[in-house]
Amino acid sequence: MSYLEHHSKTIPQGAKKLLYVHWPLVLLVTTVAVIGFLMLYSVAGGSFQPWAGPQMQRFGLGFAVMFVFAMVPIWFWRNISALAFGVSLLLLIAVEVMGQVGMGAQRWIDIGPLRLQPSELAKIGVVMALAAYFDWLPNQRLSHPFAILGALIIIALPAGLTFIQPDLGTALLIVIVGAIVIFVAGVHWAYFAAVFAIGAGAIAAVFQSRGTPWQLLKDYQYRRIDTFLDPSSDPLGAGYHITQSKIALGSGGWTGRGFMQGTQSRLNFLPEKHTDFIFTTLAEEFGFIGAGALLLIYTLIIVFCIVAALRAKDRYASLLIFGLSANFFLYFAVNMAMVMGLAPVVGVPLPLVSYGGSAMLVLLAGFGLIQSAHIHRPR
Amino acid sequence: MIRAPLRPLVKILAARAKGQNPDDIERQNIQARTNAMRETARAQAAGRLLMLGAAFLMCFGTVGMRMGQLASADPAEPTLRSSGARMLTQRADIVDRHGRILATNMETYALYAQTRDLVDPARAAAGLAQIFPDLNADDLLQDFTGKRSFVWVRKKLSASQRQAVHDLGEPGLLFGPREMRVYPNGRLASHVLGGAGFGREAVYAAEIKGLAGIESFYDDTLRDPARADDPLQLSLDLSAQAAIEKVLAGGMRMMQAKGAAGILMNAHSGEIIALASLPDFDPNNRPLPPRSGDPSDSPIFNRAVQGVYELGSTFKIFAAAQAMQMGLFDADDMIDTKGPLRWGRFKIRDFHNYGPKLSLQQVIEKSSNIGTARVAQKIGAEAQQDFLRQLGFFEPVALEMPEARVARPILPKNWSELSTMTISYGHGLSASPLHLAAAYAAIANGGKSVRPTLIKGGSGEGTQIISAKVAQKARAMLRGVVTQGTASMAQVPGYAVAGKTGTADKPARTGGYHEDKVITTFASMFPADNPEYVLVISLDEPVETSGLEARRTAGWTAVPVAAEVISRVAPLLGLRPDLREFAALN
Repeated sequence: MSYLEHHSKTIPQGAKKLLYVHWPLVLLVTTVAVIGFLMLYSVAGGSFQPWAGPQMQRFGLGFAVMFVFAMVPIWFWRNISALAFGVSLLLLIAVEVMGQVGMGAQRWIDIGPLRLQPSELAKIGVVMALAAYFDWLPNQRLSHPFAILGALIIIALPAGLTFIQPDLGTALLIVIVGAIVIFVAGVHWAYFAAVFAIGAGAIAAVFQSRGTPWQLLKDYQYRRIDTFLDPSSDPLGAGYHITQSKIALGSGGWTGRGFMQGTQSRLNFLPEKHTDFIFTTLAEEFGFIGAGALLLIYTLIIVFCIVAALRAKDRYASLLIFGLSANFFLYFAVNMAMVMGLAPVVGVPLPLVSYGGSAMLVLLAGFGLIQSAHIHRPR
Repeated sequence: MIRAPLRPLVKILAARAKGQNPDDIERQNIQARTNAMRETARAQAAGRLLMLGAAFLMCFGTVGMRMGQLASADPAEPTLRSSGARMLTQRADIVDRHGRILATNMETYALYAQTRDLVDPARAAAGLAQIFPDLNADDLLQDFTGKRSFVWVRKKLSASQRQAVHDLGEPGLLFGPREMRVYPNGRLASHVLGGAGFGREAVYAAEIKGLAGIESFYDDTLRDPARADDPLQLSLDLSAQAAIEKVLAGGMRMMQAKGAAGILMNAHSGEIIALASLPDFDPNNRPLPPRSGDPSDSPIFNRAVQGVYELGSTFKIFAAAQAMQMGLFDADDMIDTKGPLRWGRFKIRDFHNYGPKLSLQQVIEKSSNIGTARVAQKIGAEAQQDFLRQLGFFEPVALEMPEARVARPILPKNWSELSTMTISYGHGLSASPLHLAAAYAAIANGGKSVRPTLIKGGSGEGTQIISAKVAQKARAMLRGVVTQGTASMAQVPGYAVAGKTGTADKPARTGGYHEDKVITTFASMFPADNPEYVLVISLDEPVETSGLEARRTAGWTAVPVAAEVISRVAPLLGLRPDLREFAALN
């Protein structure tokens, strides 16, 4: 009998759950998505096609999924965590076997009309599995090497499968999200020190392998790293995205050029303007004020999530909330850093704004889980 | 609340006595302890959560700050950093006196090959040979497959050539940005401008170096980055220059001359309005100095400045002017011209026999060698040297061209009395047409020395060499040469011309003089009553064949060319035609 079930009498039931939905969070998420619709509408030159319309449909679907997930009790999610993790792993394997080749990497899987990116699903799977794992693990054995090994296997399986797709960015994000959950679970400091040391060694190995027959990354990935280290070295080649988006940010200035007035994105200087680099359109058209407002909304979402995680009495719920919000945060942080030339171009969308079904759906499902944990908190 | 453990036995018994189940208490104890542990774990997790949350917020802060930094930054287009010091040699333009472009710069590209990156050297070589017909595919292939990893293919590419090379799609063929010197007027004023070429060269930039003429003389100034936007303004007038070059070229063709030179100079300021030498060249593609043959036959040889010739009878006016200045003769004084004049084994003759006596004015008009020699005898060697030195015939002209600085006049080693006599009619002393123009300017402007210059503004008049009155009398003599003497073809409708012809036999390489090869010169000034401009025209080996016999004298060759030049140039220079001159002609 868990702590949570022990107090089950104080948990909202039935239609009363709607009262306990974290409505400010829902509002913020919807606001971000609406900003996304506006940007996609602008990027398409004032048209709902080809991006804004489908994006709205997907958001509608995702919104419904979010509420369904939110209404399902959190203990159900905990109980199927291992299953969800297993399914996400199977999907990752499936994408290797029958995945469609897109942009030189096998990342997509078609399930009926839905085009799914299993690596996105895997992030939620990893967070759920780790949260359940640490909830199951007795506290005194938390820092036992075998316990850590179990957690590492949970991370390594999807990360490895994503890495061989190859999708370095997502693989790294899976590892980082996993590490954050382990950290919050309270594992001993020494392990993190060791991981940092190993990470440094791995980075060194990756660079050492360059140009040798056993090269660990693809050439384009190395080029992205080079560009990160010195994006201005190749402004017309690999550094093109970054320099162009910097121009867009700079030309937006403080107040921006006005809605639908951006030149940088409209004149097709920016590739991926509707996906990973959509923020540049926002910054150019609405300037620092618009971009700062979006930043503030993202910050509030994260703050609400952290507060929810702190208030959750259940260990699984707390870890799940924080893991999912960390995932959301990482999307945002990596995308921002990439657009502003602080990090390499790794192909991470701006959460809820960038065009793309998979990420939108998975993120909203994640918010559904967060809401579920919030609603089913014993009160 | 954690209840105390029930061991030892005493406490169990006590509990039983109170009716409690000791095992139950045990279980409750364990439950309470687990909950406490869970609480601590949660507290610890909360701490770590807050820590990470703070880290996240810091990330937000960083992104926000970066956003502000970018928003406040100027949206400057990034420039290629890797290209290094791009266009180090931004060279200043050269313009004429009215600001018309003579030399400017253009961006172009050099083509080079990184042979190791060539995918298919044979295809690249064949493709290049097709684009550049002067390149040989076999030679290129040899270069591309040889040991060198870097091969220059072309120094300059046109835009279409660059596209054609680009279309070959060969990753080993690369372009280096270049700045190229362009002379939009082609051959016009080529000798003055000189030309420029690449100096030190690197892949991403090349230095442009002046090779000759103004480009070479002002190389440092033109390359000074501080003055890159400040064009160098010459005294040349592009229209006058074009007119002179055109007329000279026509005259050269008609007279079958080997070469021609012309100098048009402001008589007061020394500003050179036009300076031409034919044959010429295209400074955009300056030819190399010839390896064999006579360097003075090369198109890059500047006859007006570099060529030192015996200038013949044009010198006679100097003797006349000096004699008048020294008070030895006046224009009307009669001079013995009975010939031939014997001096040792040397005989001085006239072209025609002009009778026993001529006035000094007539000596000049008819161009009597004997009469001039007699005047020079009176002047004496020393006074003559002094006077010619003041006129600038002893030193190279300090013109702003490296070629001028080395054109040293050839003086007799031993300035004997015979030398004095021959030099007075222009033999025995060689000087450039530019020297002659400068000396004539002194007569034209009222007796003051002039330093020729190519820079707008001029250097002003120098010291007084002869009095204004003597200069005026000398001009009257030169006017007489045109109205009654050897230069009758210099009658230009509307413009009074004064001048003196000179026909000098060319010295043979074997010693002595050629019988049938001459250099004819006409040194003139206009308008005659108050000259503004000096014009010197010189033709190398002209023959005038319209008559029964071939005529080679200046009066038949250089004079008509000069007349044509003046008739075209004078209106361009803004001189009003003199109506009396029309009346005199009709």
